[in-house]
Amino acid sequence: MKKVITIIIIGFIAGLMAIGFSDATAESAQEHAETKIDPKEIIFEHLGDAYGWELPFNHHRRIPLPIIVFGSDGLHCFSSARVAHGHEYVDGNTTFVVPTEGDYKGKVVEIVNGEELVPFDVSITKNVLAVFITIALVLWFAFALVGWYKKNPYKAPRGTRGACEALVVFIYDGVIKSTLKDKAKRFAPFLLTVFMFIFVMNLLGLIVIFPGGANLTGNIAVTLTMAVLTFLVTNLFGTKHYWKDIFWPDVPLWLKFPLPIMPVIEIFGIFTKPAALTVRLFANMMGGHMIVIVLTLLIFIFASVISVAVGGATAIVSIIFSVFMLLIDVLVSFIQAYVFTMLSTIFISLAQEEGHKAHDKKEHTEIQHLATSETN
Amino acid sequence: MELFTPSFGLVFWMFVSFALLFLILWKFAWPVIMKTVDERADLIDKGVEYAQQAQLQLENAQKSGEEIIAAARRKEADIIREADSLKAQIVEEARANAKEVARKEAEAAKISIEQSRKEAENSLRQQVGEFALDIAQQVVRRQLDDPKAQQALVNSLLDQVEKQN
Repeated sequence: MKKVITIIIIGFIAGLMAIGFSDATAESAQEHAETKIDPKEIIFEHLGDAYGWELPFNHHRRIPLPIIVFGSDGLHCFSSARVAHGHEYVDGNTTFVVPTEGDYKGKVVEIVNGEELVPFDVSITKNVLAVFITIALVLWFAFALVGWYKKNPYKAPRGTRGACEALVVFIYDGVIKSTLKDKAKRFAPFLLTVFMFIFVMNLLGLIVIFPGGANLTGNIAVTLTMAVLTFLVTNLFGTKHYWKDIFWPDVPLWLKFPLPIMPVIEIFGIFTKPAALTVRLFANMMGGHMIVIVLTLLIFIFASVISVAVGGATAIVSIIFSVFMLLIDVLVSFIQAYVFTMLSTIFISLAQEEGHKAHDKKEHTEIQHLATSETN
Repeated sequence: MELFTPSFGLVFWMFVSFALLFLILWKFAWPVIMKTVDERADLIDKGVEYAQQAQLQLENAQKSGEEIIAAARRKEADIIREADSLKAQIVEEARANAKEVARKEAEAAKISIEQSRKEAENSLRQQVGEFALDIAQQVVRRQLDDPKAQQALVNSLLDQVEKQN
């Protein structure tokens, strides 16, 4: 059964590659002469979102994905293949187009009286589909483990399940339990989900062909959502002491009255924490992707600007560096998922302070110190 | 730039899917995983503790076993020593008894020997007297003149006596 599934998946990917490749060779013959390389365009296209999923080796053929928009006259739902290459599509009475240039470049817009209007867009884009794939994978990992435990409760799993368990236990014991102590059970499900989700997203982003390749955690919408969730969990479950520390901290009176300097700083701090989470994950993952893309582009830039021979020579160096960068990105994928989870845990634990005893305060400052040093 | 402005659609789907994933895992996966991992850790801890205790008990058992064996050896030695002394005592007593008995017997034997010697002396004296009387009678009766014949007679009589004894 397992083998059959593996063969089907590999066959599917190989089929996609074959379609893409045959198309590309047919096209490149005629288009080769007029190709001009625009690095910025290519980089941002690869880093950004799209309405279709590119096939390997091919720049034009895409797997079509559903576009779902609330236009001026209600819900519209159609395939992205209909608006590919800047074609206009008329759905009912409304015309839709994905402009190839202008302010709304690459976004679905509605054309009303010759003007472009941005509809309310909840399309299943490449990134959204990648999120779904990630969720399927995380669910699969988690339930493979659960299934194993139900069958053999006191036996350590091996293989993939063992790796999943090692990850979960590493985060649960090493980060969550050691920071949150007796409250670990309460917040562990959220934090473990965050970790597994980000980790799988990071790794999927490193695979260059179909099920991967979406620059998910390098997209600010994704990291922002994760950070906002941490923000919500932190503040909704915050203790009285936490709020008291924000509005009336233990500092000399003149620092909080009549001018509330410290409270303002503390309130500012509430929002800088998720902002730091957002930007750290986003910048790290996007940077990694960007470096690999730039290294690959160097080959073509040199080939077109100087000569094909120089391009060929660059290829060797570029490939070596790309592989090196991708390997580092595998490490970074884990580290960033880990750091995100750890910081979330620390933020949550800061909001869980009860602060009745003196030593609690000491611990508090220690954790805060750790948090700030991590943020930097 | 598009890269730095989050698109609403992605945030929306992200939020919905993450919420769904979280709910499913929260309800069905994490509790099971955490519980099992904790239980297994407890089981392993208990196993180690049990093994340590068993080791300790084994060591104690060995120690007490050795003690018991040593005590038994000591007792054995005591018993042997006691038996030895008892044996010596018994032998000593037996020897003393035997000596006493032997002495008594020897005394009794001496007395009876003395008696029988006396009886023998008495009977010898009687017989010698009788023989002397016999010989004297014969000698007197024959009254031989010939001293040679007397001598022969005496000799034959003495032979007779010798034969008789």
